[in-house]
Amino acid sequence: MKSRASSHFLILILIVLLTAISHYAVYYGALIRGYETSFLTASRNIGLLTVLAFLPVILARVFRFQGNWTLFTASVLLFSIGLTVQYRLFSDPEYVSKEKKSEARQAKIKTAQLHYIQENYSPEKKQMIGLPPTEPAPVDLSKETPRPVNDTFFGVMFSGRTLIPLFAIFCMVGVIWLMKRDDFLKLLQNNGFLLVLLTLVPLLLAAVTSKAGKSIGNMTPWEPAKIPFLIGFAAILAILYKNLARTYWGVPRAKDVLPLLVMAMMPFFPFFVLKDFGQMMVFSSVYITLFVIAVRRFSQRFVLIGSVVFLVGILVVGSLPVTTQEKIPLLPTLAKPVKAILPDRIQQRFHLWLDGFNPPSPETDWWKDDYESHYQKMVKKDPGLEQLAKDDPNTQKQINIDAWFDVLAFQPAQATFGLHSGGTTGRGLGLGYVELIPVSDSDYIYAALGEELGLFGGLLIILALLVFVSAGVRTALDSRDMFSKLCCAGLTAFIGFQALVNMGGITRALPMTGITLPFVSHGGFSLITSFVMLGMLMAFSHRNAVDRLAEQPPEGFSNT
Amino acid sequence: MILLFLLQLEKLRPENIFGGQVLERTPAGLTIVYLIGMLVLIWFLIMSFYGNFRRPKFNFEQNLPREVVKKLTSTLTNRSLRIWQIVFVLLAFTVYGFHVYWTYYATDANEQFQFVLNYKDMRSRRTSASNLRGWMLDRSGKLQNSLAYYKVDKDGTIDRTFPLEREMAHLLGTELGTPGLERTIYQKIEDPMPESWEILTKYKKPEPENRDVRITIDRELQAYAAKRLEGKIGGIVVINPQTGDVLAMYSNPTYSLNEAGSLEGHLKLKANLRDQPLLNRATRQFYIPGSTFKTFTMISAFRAGRQDIILQGKGSPECYTPSRGARPICDAGGGCHACGDVGMKEAFKVSSNQFFSQLANELGRERMGETANSLGITATETPKEALTQGFYPGIWNTSNPRIANAISPARSTIVNGKDLSLHDFALEGMGQGLAGQMTPLQMALIASAPANMEGKLMKPKIEYDIPPQMYSQVLTAEQAAVIRDIMSTVTEESGGTGGIVRAKLLGTGIQTGGKTGTADKEGVVVYNKDGTKKMKKVKQKNENGEWVEVEVPETYKRWDGWFLAIAPLENPQLAIAVVIEDIGGSGYGGTTAAPIAADMILKARELGLLGDKYKPQTQEKPAKKKGK
Repeated sequence: MKSRASSHFLILILIVLLTAISHYAVYYGALIRGYETSFLTASRNIGLLTVLAFLPVILARVFRFQGNWTLFTASVLLFSIGLTVQYRLFSDPEYVSKEKKSEARQAKIKTAQLHYIQENYSPEKKQMIGLPPTEPAPVDLSKETPRPVNDTFFGVMFSGRTLIPLFAIFCMVGVIWLMKRDDFLKLLQNNGFLLVLLTLVPLLLAAVTSKAGKSIGNMTPWEPAKIPFLIGFAAILAILYKNLARTYWGVPRAKDVLPLLVMAMMPFFPFFVLKDFGQMMVFSSVYITLFVIAVRRFSQRFVLIGSVVFLVGILVVGSLPVTTQEKIPLLPTLAKPVKAILPDRIQQRFHLWLDGFNPPSPETDWWKDDYESHYQKMVKKDPGLEQLAKDDPNTQKQINIDAWFDVLAFQPAQATFGLHSGGTTGRGLGLGYVELIPVSDSDYIYAALGEELGLFGGLLIILALLVFVSAGVRTALDSRDMFSKLCCAGLTAFIGFQALVNMGGITRALPMTGITLPFVSHGGFSLITSFVMLGMLMAFSHRNAVDRLAEQPPEGFSNT
Repeated sequence: MILLFLLQLEKLRPENIFGGQVLERTPAGLTIVYLIGMLVLIWFLIMSFYGNFRRPKFNFEQNLPREVVKKLTSTLTNRSLRIWQIVFVLLAFTVYGFHVYWTYYATDANEQFQFVLNYKDMRSRRTSASNLRGWMLDRSGKLQNSLAYYKVDKDGTIDRTFPLEREMAHLLGTELGTPGLERTIYQKIEDPMPESWEILTKYKKPEPENRDVRITIDRELQAYAAKRLEGKIGGIVVINPQTGDVLAMYSNPTYSLNEAGSLEGHLKLKANLRDQPLLNRATRQFYIPGSTFKTFTMISAFRAGRQDIILQGKGSPECYTPSRGARPICDAGGGCHACGDVGMKEAFKVSSNQFFSQLANELGRERMGETANSLGITATETPKEALTQGFYPGIWNTSNPRIANAISPARSTIVNGKDLSLHDFALEGMGQGLAGQMTPLQMALIASAPANMEGKLMKPKIEYDIPPQMYSQVLTAEQAAVIRDIMSTVTEESGGTGGIVRAKLLGTGIQTGGKTGTADKEGVVVYNKDGTKKMKKVKQKNENGEWVEVEVPETYKRWDGWFLAIAPLENPQLAIAVVIEDIGGSGYGGTTAAPIAADMILKARELGLLGDKYKPQTQEKPAKKKGK
């Protein structure tokens, strides 16, 4: 199969078809649990994917697009998996409703019980229970009345879940159109610093004045800021990377290093204030990527990578579980000062990561308050508990365990149980209990996917991601100038590392941070940003193809 | 034509391809199709990309020497990019490796994870809520006599219902605390959370299944036991000595299962230290058995072949003095009830302390310990060891160790170490002192060994459908008959301590045997009404030798009344142990516990559990005929 627009068109059409199948699976799974799924939403999802499937045809005609379609197809594949999992989640009344959660849960349990009774109980038993006495027989779903969905055509078609992806696709096309122009790219490259400053001002303002995005629900409006930051850094690195190689006694000149450092540090201030540690992690890994690619001297790379490894090592050592620390000599002494410095929030995240199934003692700084509030709630229910806890250390321990797994560790623990219950092929779409994991449509979507599609589902995501990254690297390799190269590498690294940080957080390979899985998660700004990045990469790929064609030497040069 | 096409279309529906009659097969099959399809698409993508993976060669390069091309194309930057790509692939698969770890290896490798998974996974709660348990039927096996079943209540939810929700609370057990029969006795669903390929390959056409369990408890008798103990603290155990069937087992105070179902209610019950309603006194509370334990000492004598022993009963103040300087052991009220040369039969009838404490020392520690082991009692070397013996699930005859664990009794103990003084061991022989760790269930078992026609101790069982099992051959059939005869003197002859039983059963023709007991327990803590310990102030010397006032819990001496009974004498179908706590200084086992045992026998007769005594019966199943 050659990488031509036509073969990608075929793959895209097949994606639409498979998504239709997966939606039917979700629909049927829902019927078994006694509720209906929205037909409108399903057709909306199929429609969106159809639009994406026909986009190559349009782009090839209108823009004479000649770049690599692999990037696009891999992204659409990820996006379609995301749509399926989101469809599963958002059609579940227990997951969606806020007040009537337990009611929806009871309804589902009752449906399952009635099915069991219908299939197994003798007429005599049914009568004793208080049901019509019928012979045991397999359940016929067509005779049941599932809970109906209440949605309207306008409600579905003009909701954020329709408009945001459409807008994202629109942005992507716009960006392709913009970025394939030389003058625009030149403008960006020359004004990198200005661009960063212009982004920084509103971002800092937002960060300082309020909790910004937190007030707009679950959104993160600073997400698109990644792009100008990247362009700025790539622009300055493209200028300075050669100078860095010029060293005096092995040290580069300050006037080459300082601007770079300032540029690299800039995005960290607003994200630190916003406490978005996930973005910080992604940013640092992307900047390291760019630096390592651009810098030519081995010693400089070594210093950078070495210092990063050292810092991370200190952090990890500082927050290793106490029992592990005690096994290694000298480690507790080393860890003590680190622990004293680390902010509570980070310590908490690290504990959840490295020792998440072991509740911390109630005296721990960052756990005390949450524990106390949970304990007070329990005491309010039962005043005798206080005395009991005082007399019996086991009771107190039990309360602590319950509090830990019901409050702070609830979401990560349930997510891990989800991965565990998924097994190899998952429990089947609509047959898992993904609704138990809070917000599993955005941050924790990989857990939901792992539960219902299993290891194979995870493999789908990983492989699609690797195809995307390889195609991105390919684009960077083919680029002719350093700025484009760095931009491509940076964009690829952004998508790639964001996905890794997200999945690593759920599988406990990394501390959990609240960032989304690009293209898969349900999101507003993050989805738009991902599509814009995809558009930029595609534009670069297009430029490479055009360049190559232009540089093709005259006929006589070759003698094939 | 179109109709035919539509019919074909109907056949192509996924339900018809995968479905069968298992509903889950449709989505599971579609999921597998989706996964395979997507993987194939990614394979297509990789294939299509592969041609693009190598850097495209320009035509002019083909004429140049290899070294030049290499220098020309692989710039330092591009090489770094390649290396970065490889690192990224490795990182991605590392993350995926963690996913694999949680799926396959975490339960084996990570103990903490395993614990939390069992304890806090909401999924298992959901599956267990959706999967209905079987029904629990009583020994009649009739649906109307179910002890636990489902019912659709007013607002339409399907609720677990317990007709004897207070009377059976300890046996059935709560959902939150220590498990009981409810959480263990039903067959577990093999795999409540199958994967989609398992659903497709393993789950075939469903057969209507039956998870119901029939247990040995008689619903009426159990309810009657609860009624009889109302307002008292204590326990009743009724066993069929021929098969080991537990017919009734009740402990008062009890609790309501509905109340204990919520966390709040459970905590409230747990906090009630005064009544301890959650404690199953029939199996997990230690009592001093008092004179009822003389049955045990008597069995030991028979096992040793010394049933004809004659011992001296002496008057006050000498009584029986085991060793010089030791406190003399007298019969209740001082002096001797059976004086002079006394045989086993007479001593048992009047419950002579002197006789049985002497007997213990005559038989020796080894003999007593060996008898203890044959009856399911643990004999320990020192009193300290006796305190840490835990539970004894092995006494039960169950199909599944989980059930035995759930209803396992506390391990009853006696101490027979060498370091014990003669006086202490003598006290054990009459059921006081270090013999004070007996559960009502254990006492019922002691009574059931001689009550068995072959002298066997049958393991108690709670499931109706499993065959009876012997714990040990305690006595020969002849010895058992003699002991039954001796036991009947207590209830049937005038002057026996349990004469009230005969009075109650007058006219029924049922002959019984038994043993009374009245035990005193020192140092029982007094509780206030709100569940706190009642404190009193006493003056004590502290380490500096000064007198200071300290608060200590107030204690008192408690009297417990006991009665063991077997009935009917010629082929016992019941072995009963009744214990009533705190009967007051003026009460006796014979006046408090014995009437309850007699009433239980009457009720059992009414229910047909005694069978027809004039006809020989099979030992496994007592005939369901009403008594006359």
